[in-house]
Amino acid sequence: MPNPIISVRNAVKTYGKVRALDNVALDIREGEFLTLLGPSGSGKTTLLSAIAGFLSVTSGSIHARGAEITHLPPEKRDFAMVFQGYALFPTMTVAENVGYPLRVRKMPNAERAERVRECLELVQMSGFADRMPHQLSGGQQQRIALARALSFKPDVLLLDEPLSALDKKLRADLQWELKALHDRLGVTFIYVTHDQDEAMSMSDRVIILSDGSVQQEGAPAELYNRPRNKFVASFLGKSNFVPAQIRKQANGTYTAQVAQESFELSAEPEVNIDGKACLAIRPERVRLGLPGLECFAGRIRQISYLGERCLVLVDHEEFGEILISQTTWNASLPPEPNMEISFGWDCKACVPIAEN
Amino acid sequence: MPRSTLHIFFSTGCWMVLAFLVLPILVVIPVSFTDTAFIGLPRDGLSLQHYETFLRSPKWLQACLTSMWIGVLVAGISTILGTLFCIGVWFLSDRAATIARWVMIVPILVPPVVQSLGFYKFWVVLGLIDTHVGVILAHTLLALPYVTISVFAALTNLDRRIPQAARNLGASLPMTILTVIMPSIRPGMIAGALFAFTVSFDEIVGVLFLTVRRVETLPKVIWDGIQESIDPVIAAVATILVAITLFVTVFGLRGRKI
Ligand SMILES: Nc1ncnc2c1ncn2[C@@H]1O[C@H](COP(=O)(O)OP(=O)(O)OP(=O)(O)O)[C@@H](O)[C@H]1O
Ligand SMILES: [Mg+2]
Repeated sequence: MPNPIISVRNAVKTYGKVRALDNVALDIREGEFLTLLGPSGSGKTTLLSAIAGFLSVTSGSIHARGAEITHLPPEKRDFAMVFQGYALFPTMTVAENVGYPLRVRKMPNAERAERVRECLELVQMSGFADRMPHQLSGGQQQRIALARALSFKPDVLLLDEPLSALDKKLRADLQWELKALHDRLGVTFIYVTHDQDEAMSMSDRVIILSDGSVQQEGAPAELYNRPRNKFVASFLGKSNFVPAQIRKQANGTYTAQVAQESFELSAEPEVNIDGKACLAIRPERVRLGLPGLECFAGRIRQISYLGERCLVLVDHEEFGEILISQTTWNASLPPEPNMEISFGWDCKACVPIAEN
Repeated sequence: MPRSTLHIFFSTGCWMVLAFLVLPILVVIPVSFTDTAFIGLPRDGLSLQHYETFLRSPKWLQACLTSMWIGVLVAGISTILGTLFCIGVWFLSDRAATIARWVMIVPILVPPVVQSLGFYKFWVVLGLIDTHVGVILAHTLLALPYVTISVFAALTNLDRRIPQAARNLGASLPMTILTVIMPSIRPGMIAGALFAFTVSFDEIVGVLFLTVRRVETLPKVIWDGIQESIDPVIAAVATILVAITLFVTVFGLRGRKI
């Protein structure tokens, strides 16, 4: 990667026996919108705090533009953080909060007032300069925290679940605004969330963490289409897993054998050949048909209607449950409970992953 | 019915306890206006003569002044030391820091006489007996636990991310303490300073142990006054103190509401 703005090398952080970070390595490109995605307790805040300098890693190192900053105090790093819960200074007004980074940098008063006005305008909070933080709603506090972080024109903005305390509608609005802000300012965003929709819709690149280690990284579509392991396949959207045997053919192609059926795989799989593996198939990529039409026979156990799509749970004697997601509009086969059906998928729809 | 009987029982009890607390304080007020030359209720009429004696007597005024400035200094020093201690402990927040916090509170548990004896032994060695410095030092040590309790209570309400945010935004550690932490815990510091002032202002045991003639604080002069003659000036002094306390309390409460 050409000249990463931040790189984390082999970072380990232990709390007693807990490994909050387990050999994390990552490079962050200048100007990208990078999301750290993982379930609660996966080490997202820990990684962000290590980058911001609030905690020191047990081993490993952190670099900014090639220079090591592992032991640099947080105030020397020039990364602005928007905290989970915002952490506005309760004794200062909104304007004082936003102007704080400029005050500690000894910017002259007039210039500072001008910059504060600019930043409040940026987050559409111009009328609130003289309020105290406790007089603001959650969404307004979030905007002020953002304005405060942007006021000193940092290179990197670290955001720790900035929208998690807000309701769904406001969240969706602010997601758009954040994304637009990123595109406009060209600042590097490192965004932490445990919400996969948020991660997918906003990011250039997503890093999936679990138990303190990186599971996979890549663009949202790449992660969704080619998950590397079961964790990623089931954390990012839903997946069906069916046991398979992967074999290399004489002509150099690969096939996956599932029950009595054999599929040709489109690319070389990243799993043990001839070992136990399984195929991950997204619910919306499974086709539903009348009995005999598709490869596998099953019986519908349950249907749940979600509006634009409906989820169909099918029992198969070997695979167990298979989840199928169908569009409700113009469905070729309107599903009914207890109906005998058949199902199958395109060979391009399945991803071979290691069984474990 | 049983509920209202209970209610009457408790509210009567409550008022009686309050009366028990307040009456001894209020009784000094009529006594201070007595026209007799000894402590007692006014006989033929009210008189301000004891207030006059108080305001005319250099001994009383001097003692008041001494107690005042010692109290202010003690409040200042112990608040600064106690606050720094608390912030340090709060930042460390490991086991050693918690132990240090408990050790800090121990002086409250030791009987004043025992502690004063300890001061006496040390101050003799240090040559601090009968000096203002000696008294200020002793009072500061006595006041520190109260300051730390009050400041720490304020600190536990402070979000740990607040100082992190300040440093992330470019403030050094001293700057963070001055501009972000101190303003947030100011109510605790003010309460601590008031506690410290009170501890010093009415401290008598230590003063009796540590001073001879050169340091005369108000409690010591009152004590001497009772020893020598039962002078109603003491009641006048007490009334003035009660009035000042009431004034400060009411003013403080009103200030908080606004
Ligand atoms: N100060 C600490 N002492 C001990 N363990 C800690 C400490 N801080 C974090 N941990 C542990 O480290 C792991 C990672 O925590 P972290 O806060 O990074 O999770 P997270 O991914 O941010 O979770 P969430 O989404 O809930 O915020 C957790 O197992 C947590 O219990
Ligand atoms: Mg977190």
